[in-house]
Amino acid sequence: MSGGRLAENGGQRIRRGEELRFTFDGDSRVGLAGDTIASALYAGGQRTFSRSFKYHRRRGELCGCGQCANSLVTVDGAPGVRACGEPLRDGMQVEHQNAWPSLELDVMRATDLVGGPFTPPGFYYKTFIRPRRLWPLYEKVLRSAAGLGKLRRRQPEREWRTEYRRRHCDVLVVGGGIAGLSAALRAAQLGADVVLCDEDVEPGGSLLFEGGHERARDLAARCREAGVEILTRAPGLGYFDGLVPVWQGDVLHQVRAARHVAATGTLAQPLVFPENDLPGVMLAPGALRLAALYGVDPGRCAIAGVDDRALETALSLHRLGVQVAVVADLRPDADSELTAALETAGIELMRGVTPVRAGGSKQLAEVQVGPVDPSGRLRGSARRIACDVLAVAGPQAPASSLLLQSGARARFDDTLQSFLPQEAPPLIHPAGAVAGHADAESAMLSGAVAGAEAALALGFGEREDRDRLASERAKLEAEAPTVRRAAPPAKSHDGGRGKAFVDLDEDITAKDVAYAAAEGYDSLELSKRYTTVTMGPSQGRFSQLASARVLGEVTGRPLGEIGVTTARPPWTTVPMGALAGRPFEAAKRSSIHARHRDLGATVRWAGDWRRAYDYGDVEGETMAVHEGAGLIDVSTLGKLIVRGPDAGELLDRLYPNRMSTLKPGRIRYGVLTSESGRISDDGTVCRLDDDTFYVTTTSSGATAVERWFTWWMASWPELDVTLTDVTQGVAAMNLAGPGSRDILAKLTDADVSNEGIAYLDGPQLAIAGIDCLVLRIGFVGELGYELHCAAPQARGLWDAVADSGARPFGLEPQRILRLQKMHILVGQDTDSETTPYGANLDFAVKLDKEQDFIGRWALEHYEERPPAQKLVGFTCPGGEVPTEGAAIVEGDRVVGQVTSSRRAPKLESSIGLALVEPRLAEDGASISISDDGRRIAAAVQTRPFYDPDGELLRS
Amino acid sequence: MSLGFLSISAGATARSPLLDAALGGGARSEVRDGWEVVSSFGDPTAERSACIESVGFADLSHLTKLELQHDGARPFAAGEALRLPGGWRCPVRPRLDLLLAEPSAAAALRPGLEAEGRVCDLTGSLGALAIAGPLAREVFARFCALDLREGSMPVRGFRPGSVARTPGYVLHERPERFLVLFGAAYGQYFWEVVADAVERLGGRPVGTDSLPAIDEEPARA
Repeated sequence: MSGGRLAENGGQRIRRGEELRFTFDGDSRVGLAGDTIASALYAGGQRTFSRSFKYHRRRGELCGCGQCANSLVTVDGAPGVRACGEPLRDGMQVEHQNAWPSLELDVMRATDLVGGPFTPPGFYYKTFIRPRRLWPLYEKVLRSAAGLGKLRRRQPEREWRTEYRRRHCDVLVVGGGIAGLSAALRAAQLGADVVLCDEDVEPGGSLLFEGGHERARDLAARCREAGVEILTRAPGLGYFDGLVPVWQGDVLHQVRAARHVAATGTLAQPLVFPENDLPGVMLAPGALRLAALYGVDPGRCAIAGVDDRALETALSLHRLGVQVAVVADLRPDADSELTAALETAGIELMRGVTPVRAGGSKQLAEVQVGPVDPSGRLRGSARRIACDVLAVAGPQAPASSLLLQSGARARFDDTLQSFLPQEAPPLIHPAGAVAGHADAESAMLSGAVAGAEAALALGFGEREDRDRLASERAKLEAEAPTVRRAAPPAKSHDGGRGKAFVDLDEDITAKDVAYAAAEGYDSLELSKRYTTVTMGPSQGRFSQLASARVLGEVTGRPLGEIGVTTARPPWTTVPMGALAGRPFEAAKRSSIHARHRDLGATVRWAGDWRRAYDYGDVEGETMAVHEGAGLIDVSTLGKLIVRGPDAGELLDRLYPNRMSTLKPGRIRYGVLTSESGRISDDGTVCRLDDDTFYVTTTSSGATAVERWFTWWMASWPELDVTLTDVTQGVAAMNLAGPGSRDILAKLTDADVSNEGIAYLDGPQLAIAGIDCLVLRIGFVGELGYELHCAAPQARGLWDAVADSGARPFGLEPQRILRLQKMHILVGQDTDSETTPYGANLDFAVKLDKEQDFIGRWALEHYEERPPAQKLVGFTCPGGEVPTEGAAIVEGDRVVGQVTSSRRAPKLESSIGLALVEPRLAEDGASISISDDGRRIAAAVQTRPFYDPDGELLRS
Repeated sequence: MSLGFLSISAGATARSPLLDAALGGGARSEVRDGWEVVSSFGDPTAERSACIESVGFADLSHLTKLELQHDGARPFAAGEALRLPGGWRCPVRPRLDLLLAEPSAAAALRPGLEAEGRVCDLTGSLGALAIAGPLAREVFARFCALDLREGSMPVRGFRPGSVARTPGYVLHERPERFLVLFGAAYGQYFWEVVADAVERLGGRPVGTDSLPAIDEEPARA
């Protein structure tokens, strides 16, 4: 067995002599500064890192770069950390996940040993549907049996801070290999603002572990000098119409670039053969990274592949001092400079063979290789090769997810034996291996071309830069790659038993995919959903091609026809919390809000406002309005200034009644309807002068009404009128109650008598030294004055009025008070079908006025026909307060609905409003309310419950 | 004047929608031009340093904001504000400008504006925060997707848009100093959002006296 470190070389990341101490499942371990958790564990002899998702099989290092699920561990209590991508820190507490009682002895392994035949794809769909009542139990057991670690128990331990950073740039380069660095450098040199993001801890890609580390680091340094912002350990998560979220630790960069360069490289692919998941079977780049970057001696290696990468891997490992036992090349005719180099190095090359079985108990001990027929079955006998590591170099697959998300198409290339992205959108420039330029020189050239194309398209650069681009393009095309690659079988085997995995994340075998196809799930998308193949944490990086091959074989269709599944974000697993945003709620608060808090208000949401619902005594606050004076903050009302010579004309066209006939200083109620005559909002209109109107709307309708007005003003350009929304700039408070006049008199020198300020007057007065618009209206049914003033001075006004004897009351008392008067709340007492006629607002519709107005045609129609429902009041003699929304029924038939209901302390009765069939809209009619299983008897009342003639309002 | 109730009257002190939050953070205030203005947070030297070395933010809601709806030709380019004595004229739409001015300078501007079109006082409608310092753009990047890079938003640039998920405006007043305008009712929310971003980046709230003057050469750390 291997262990320890190789000799130093210039490309290693580790700093020998700087030891870091950490624990793994409680055992003390030692690593080096620069290690990943996995490299430190591996160097210390650890081979099993995790247990698999379903069968709880041992899993070891696979990709070496934080992209597979094999190395998922829990670090300091946080689950789902990829050990092979996570830098080691001193004091880390690393634990395995998904195994019990220990990583070495996992009782759930029984599912692999005895449960395999009983757990084919879809077994739980079929097994656990009966009896249905036991499903909750099944679900609980299944969820605890499967899983990828456990979240911390206490909520505070689960929380962390995510920074959100929006970044605009000219060019975003995704991928920091040689092509990406080259693209970034060229674009920056041409003057573009460039961001480059890469998944690794440093840019450089495969150059870093394939002998080109100096070149990679020099290129990265030149990029920084040219002003490129390089984000490391920062994968691009997806492509959203030009926006690419880049996840970097605790920061989510939302990068919006004018142009994108996709230099995402390729992904090494596994080969499928029995026991191909044993710890020790790893992808060739994974083995190389361990040796080159972390100086880990992986032990005696065998290499298996389908093209020259296997030979290159063998030579690289050999150069690093790793013992290479043999190279198994599926190509029967492999012959190049590399084969000669292998011979020189004394490495045996076996041509035309591939692994047909891996062997070992806890980890790889040997691999059997031999020739196979086109179906993958061993021809003749296999040779056993003792080894600690089998480095697999299957056909490279382009990491094309981002390109495909952006709209590119995947086409199968027979020569490369993989799906290449094509027809990328014009704003995206593929570069490097993902575009088919795999060797370092052509990747670098393609990067430079992509960077130049992106920058020049944005107007950077000069004529000579365009000429240079043209010559580089020509050179790139002339250097079209010549790859000799063998097509691997869907599964190679020796005819014996053993699981051959196509997806290590989800424990899906080649047999599972074939089984699903036999059950009719014979397209890749259906197979994915039925078997969950490609749905694990690796997002199909290492399983899509393998599963497609199996499906192609069992269905007899070529790979190009099988295709690939839809590429979806996120490309890398990302915590849900990272997508949630900072915990701030965009709440509106009135300028008096802090005073409500001081007064002990119960504050609740009302639309997008935070409002005082009450001050702890709803009944007392209600009675104060009846008996003395109350004061409520109504700053949330929408407020619009409509100005211009045609302001009256505009309002006449928008409202069903006449507004142009209002005299300056007077107020009129208005209801707004849609073109179909349905109520959309209501409020008051006060004429300030000949050309200026002050319009109030409901609190929740303010924005919609402003847009409604703006829409129609754009449709009537002939009108000389302007609109300004002053909702947030003007505070308003309603001083109401029989004592309100006396309070007002204390605060102003103006004549506030009933003659001085009559009902529906709207004078402008200085109240407590503050200029106010005073609207004498009465939403709550008592003598009242709405005081409107500049919001920055509203707290002073509030304090002055309150100090003069008005008791603050909240929204809940206001709702009781207005209900007594049957004043409607649009949206609560009306629905999308309610017309003014149905809501008893006939007085606000003037069909005899000369102007056409919004909804006129419909209202003329409805005037002649009774509305489907009519709003009425009701009282409940038994004192019950029915739930708002409760049905009004006759037998089993619904004939109406309660819209509002309260107990009114002044009236000492239960009252409400309801929409009912018109035949029931008669005083004294009996109705029955069905409310949560009980029947409540109620009597209809058509006139207001309180002050029905409005004498108090006008007094 | 029929719209007099929209404007600040002489009879009472005006309060910014951010004042309670600022006072809760240790602000010291004094009355200037009828407004209770935050002059400092107790350490003017540190506040001034923050604006030079990292970032500081100050409540400027007391600035007078006048909406001008007009039908004349605009004397300046779209997206670019015009510097006025003691203020700015900012283009919002082809026929709508926003005038920003110190309260003491606003009265002198108003007659000329009224000759041009319809003026409406939005002082109370909009809160205003100045964000100043070399990290000012990074602060915006934490809650705002507007492109405020120098090339897209040079000094005097003015842009309506979504700021912290609410409708707002951003004015690039001088190198490393931006003014953000937002709905006044969002004052407390805005303070929370900006303070959270600024403090994370090593900055702090500052009094108005610590802000670098608009027409002053930028100081360097």
